[in-house]
Amino acid sequence: MTIVPEFEFKNKIRELGFSLPRGFLVNRVEDYRGNFPAVAKISSDKITHKSEIGALIVDIKGPEELRESIDSLRTKFPGEPIYVEEMARRGIEVIIGLLNDEKFGKLILFGIGGFYSELIKDVTFKKLPLDREDASDMINELRYRNIFSGYRGLRTSEDIIVNLLVKISETWKGENFQQVDFNPVFLYSDSYLIVDAKMII
Amino acid sequence: MSLDIIFNPGSICIIGASRDKGKVGNVILQNVSREFKGKIYLIHPVAQEINGIRCFRTVQDLPESPDIAVISLPPEKTIESLEELGKKGCKVSIPVSGGFGEQGEKGKQLEMKIKNICEKYGMRVIGPNTVGVIVPRVGLNTALTEIDKTTFPRDGKVSFISQSGALGLLSMDAASDNGMGFSSFISLGNEADVTENDAYDLVSKDTGTQSIALYLEKISDTDDFLKKSRDISRTKGIVLMKGGQSEAGNRATSLHTGSLFKSNFSLRGIFNQHGIIQAFSETQLLDYALALAYGKPVMGDRIAIITSAGGVGVVSSDLLENKGFRVSKPSKNLEERLRKIISPIASPLNPIDMTAEATDDQYENLLKEIESSGEYDSVIVFALFQTAGVTEGLIDILRSFNEKGRMPFVVGVLGGEYTKNMVRKMLSLGIPTFPSIERATDGVWALRERGKFMRRFLK
Repeated sequence: MTIVPEFEFKNKIRELGFSLPRGFLVNRVEDYRGNFPAVAKISSDKITHKSEIGALIVDIKGPEELRESIDSLRTKFPGEPIYVEEMARRGIEVIIGLLNDEKFGKLILFGIGGFYSELIKDVTFKKLPLDREDASDMINELRYRNIFSGYRGLRTSEDIIVNLLVKISETWKGENFQQVDFNPVFLYSDSYLIVDAKMII
Repeated sequence: MSLDIIFNPGSICIIGASRDKGKVGNVILQNVSREFKGKIYLIHPVAQEINGIRCFRTVQDLPESPDIAVISLPPEKTIESLEELGKKGCKVSIPVSGGFGEQGEKGKQLEMKIKNICEKYGMRVIGPNTVGVIVPRVGLNTALTEIDKTTFPRDGKVSFISQSGALGLLSMDAASDNGMGFSSFISLGNEADVTENDAYDLVSKDTGTQSIALYLEKISDTDDFLKKSRDISRTKGIVLMKGGQSEAGNRATSLHTGSLFKSNFSLRGIFNQHGIIQAFSETQLLDYALALAYGKPVMGDRIAIITSAGGVGVVSSDLLENKGFRVSKPSKNLEERLRKIISPIASPLNPIDMTAEATDDQYENLLKEIESSGEYDSVIVFALFQTAGVTEGLIDILRSFNEKGRMPFVVGVLGGEYTKNMVRKMLSLGIPTFPSIERATDGVWALRERGKFMRRFLK
């Protein structure tokens, strides 16, 4: 079981044409060439729940704050690489995942993300490959699917979701993996952003 | 191979038949001889005849090779008989006794022997440790329960395959008492030879079967099972109750995806994708299968409710909306047309409540208007026979709507013995009928799920 480092995996899927926030591995403030606000974090396979142990700093408003953030991360986690990326604007949070199950084979997950996601467990699975009907069924199988058609000023479209799910299915149906998490993915009215991505081979 | 002989057997041989009431060998003899029209042979070491049926001393002595053999003997003796039956050319053997793989290593070795005998002679074995096989239309019934304690099914369009013998047989008993018919029942037992996939293949080719109900605790080849299902589901409805916790094997779960793939519920999406409707109770399993066998797929969410009791309309509306249906109002135009049919005090707004003034004619005219309006994708009819103006004649109206109409519908009833008899009549006429509000809404939900799956073949 090998965890692919976050920045490596993110670079790979960016090259495959998926939409992600721009990000950079940094030593100094000058290494960051993205916009503010930004997010800085330790890029390590060993750390999973980053925000709970202070390995993730969000809403960094400018270069000065970024310098402080880098210093703080370096002091707490000496020697670990630091990854800084543009902070995604708020969207509808969903989780998408891939799982190679020994009985069922390659599966794709789609579900409601965000703070309560593990409590409500509103998710559904399909076998790869996925056609557009299957992808649209995944939306309809979620209990809280109404969130997509407009909730608290946020909404998205069925096409955005279907296109993304089918693209993920097409990309990974012939690949080797144990598990992939895209969590969270932010959905907007006309686009999406994969905010975090992890892969275990 | 030769498994399909169970749909058309010419002869049945019973080994271990007994004249002592209460013994398994006697129960099987009673059940087999009750309706089977083909030849029955008994094997007995000493008896000349049992219940007037001639006995042969050994399998070898039989005048022909039997199509089916039922064996009720202890494990070691069962193996000996299977060997003889194989040699004689028997096509399908059904050993009923336990004491095999479920009892440990020694029993597993006996099952290996069964498998070897099957391969050697090209015979198929259902079991051991099975409660039997029932195919009503050919009078085949090898069940282990007595007739005075069991309602066996009449012929119908649902095939039922179960990995739990008792759960299968007893829930079929209950459904049969309600009037539900079955095209076959197969208790798989320990699956020494015939597996769930073999039985699945068998019933999927049966033209008398319109839907398949499966109770499975283990699926030996998931990939094969899902592929098969997707093929079968083009022509037949499939309902699965999956016992036991999720089979998710991958526990490398430092990521979320793996940890979320644990609940039984998470299989629903995968089953849907392959045309399988998942049930979570024995009642749902057989109700969904009944709906799929006798009802038409529902292609949209708009549903009309026809009732003569306000409360029934209210409760069914709530249940249906919860299941994703829209109990939508009729257009002004349709509303006026409906209003003309019913009493001035009744309500044409969906749910369409005729009140206690309801009559058979009102039911008939409402159904016609709703179908021709094109404003609804399905209709649920509560045939409340206790209503003063409603008679048994309503059954003919529903039957004709079911046979001639194109509109998907289910019938719900509520009541005691009299009503139960109405249900039996309606089911025997192929009208998809359910004995409670909730079960009727479950039935139409299954048809909606079927419609959602079928849409991919209609483009």
